[in-house]
Amino acid sequence: MFNIFSLIFKYIFIVIIYLFILSIIRLIYLDIKGISQEISDGGKYLKLINKKESLSFNVKEYYPLTKSISIGRSNNNEIVLKDPYISKNHLKIVEDEGVFFIEDLNSANGTYLNGERIMDVVKIKNGDRIRVGQVEFLFVDRE
Amino acid sequence: MLDKITSPRRPRNLLVLFELMAIALLFIYDRENLDKFTIISGISLILLIYVSNFLLPKISTGDNYIFLITTMLLSIGVIMIYRINPALGIKQVIWIGIGILLFFITYFIVKNINEWRNWTNLYFGLSIVLFVATLLFGTTKKGSTNWLEIGRFSFQPTEIIKLLLIFLIASYYVNYDEYKEKKFGPYYLTGAVYLFIGFLFLQKDLGTVLIFYSIFIALQFIYEENRKLIFYNVLLFVVAGVAGFFLFDHVRIRFQIWLNPWEYIDNKGYQITQSLFAIATGGFFGTGIGLGHPDFIPEVYTDFIFSAICEEMGIFAGIGVIMLFLILVYRGFKIAISQRDKFFRIVALGISILFGIQSFIIFGGVLKLIPLTGITIPFVSYGGSSMLSSFIALGILQVASEELD
Repeated sequence: MFNIFSLIFKYIFIVIIYLFILSIIRLIYLDIKGISQEISDGGKYLKLINKKESLSFNVKEYYPLTKSISIGRSNNNEIVLKDPYISKNHLKIVEDEGVFFIEDLNSANGTYLNGERIMDVVKIKNGDRIRVGQVEFLFVDRE
Repeated sequence: MLDKITSPRRPRNLLVLFELMAIALLFIYDRENLDKFTIISGISLILLIYVSNFLLPKISTGDNYIFLITTMLLSIGVIMIYRINPALGIKQVIWIGIGILLFFITYFIVKNINEWRNWTNLYFGLSIVLFVATLLFGTTKKGSTNWLEIGRFSFQPTEIIKLLLIFLIASYYVNYDEYKEKKFGPYYLTGAVYLFIGFLFLQKDLGTVLIFYSIFIALQFIYEENRKLIFYNVLLFVVAGVAGFFLFDHVRIRFQIWLNPWEYIDNKGYQITQSLFAIATGGFFGTGIGLGHPDFIPEVYTDFIFSAICEEMGIFAGIGVIMLFLILVYRGFKIAISQRDKFFRIVALGISILFGIQSFIIFGGVLKLIPLTGITIPFVSYGGSSMLSSFIALGILQVASEELD
């Protein structure tokens, strides 16, 4: 009785072990692919222009834009950048019917769009460069 | 369908399925000696592993896979140990329980202290204290003086010193610029490591010498600015190896057994030949749990657990174990690459190298690819100190996988 069980189970065990390994590898693979997939889906995102290594604080290469987001030094922003030249609540990117607008929140050092300091709410389009503090982003909109 | 395969819950559920089936099989196998305690500890282990795997992604923002992989490894290990010797299996379950607890404790302690990089002297001092204590009060088992007994409790200090060594190297290279200013500063680390290796030679614990040397040379290769030093160390490594061969009888014997075990089959080569027989008997799919004879191999539950897995669960399961270690080490390197903090980057590298080299040495040993050195497979073999120190290392790796400010 036990022998039959054991003989059947040994095949099932091997199948489970390999399924386990495969599903972990697949999850890791999706993890790595995650960013490029989000972007290839026709998404809108901010891409870092600076060399990541040249900055002394944490910043990602890509920030997908799905809804309105805010950027600043304090932790209640969606994108937190610990740059001393960035204000606590620095700027806001607002989405309205598929169009994105950028708004400076009275920051000390200002927000620059393509090298010009913005004063009011400005519409941004594909290829615009946004500079806050030491960080410079490229706005990409693939649609 | 695709969503189901890629769900993050899936490996977790597979693990529980695997454990439930194994536990059912083992309880049928051992039905005469079953008592309440065994059943409760078996089921609580499954629960503990599931809950930990469930909670970890919620507690930690870091890597979710390393803990999952190790729980699979230790499930395979504990199943095999329980099948060979139920009493040891229960003990192992308790060690795993303490280990998982220690994993979370280590995680919180390491995460909430920021001073780790500045304590180079402390790591060095602690290691020396442990080495001297082993030398003075240590007990000898299997030809190496590497056990320390405190009351009923005994442990291997080298398991802790391994981690201290990684911390020592990491903190040294983080503060490298400071040390460069001092006279002989660039040679401090090399001196310290050779002191450790000297102690290990005195203990005749040559398997650990190999691990220490590998970690040291690998990390030095990456971070040392004085490239000549690496060359000298590799040269010294060869010299030490040759010296070990001529100085120690048991090294010579190990080497002879490795070249031709069949000549010594009735005494010194018995263990390795039995291991080879066991792996050959198993074939692709194994004999089935409880139907083979892994107990013919001496020390099967510690150093030779891999042969037992190959015999009863098949070489496919053996390859599976090796693949799990591959992913674990790969994740370790990935963590090291994405970590911005230099200290934790070096620590993550060191721990991945530790897991990798340790499993390589023992897998190679039992398969007769390299001369056998008696060390444990992390997470799989029976052994309290090894299990606990591996879990501490994993806890540190978990911290290193997070974005630290």
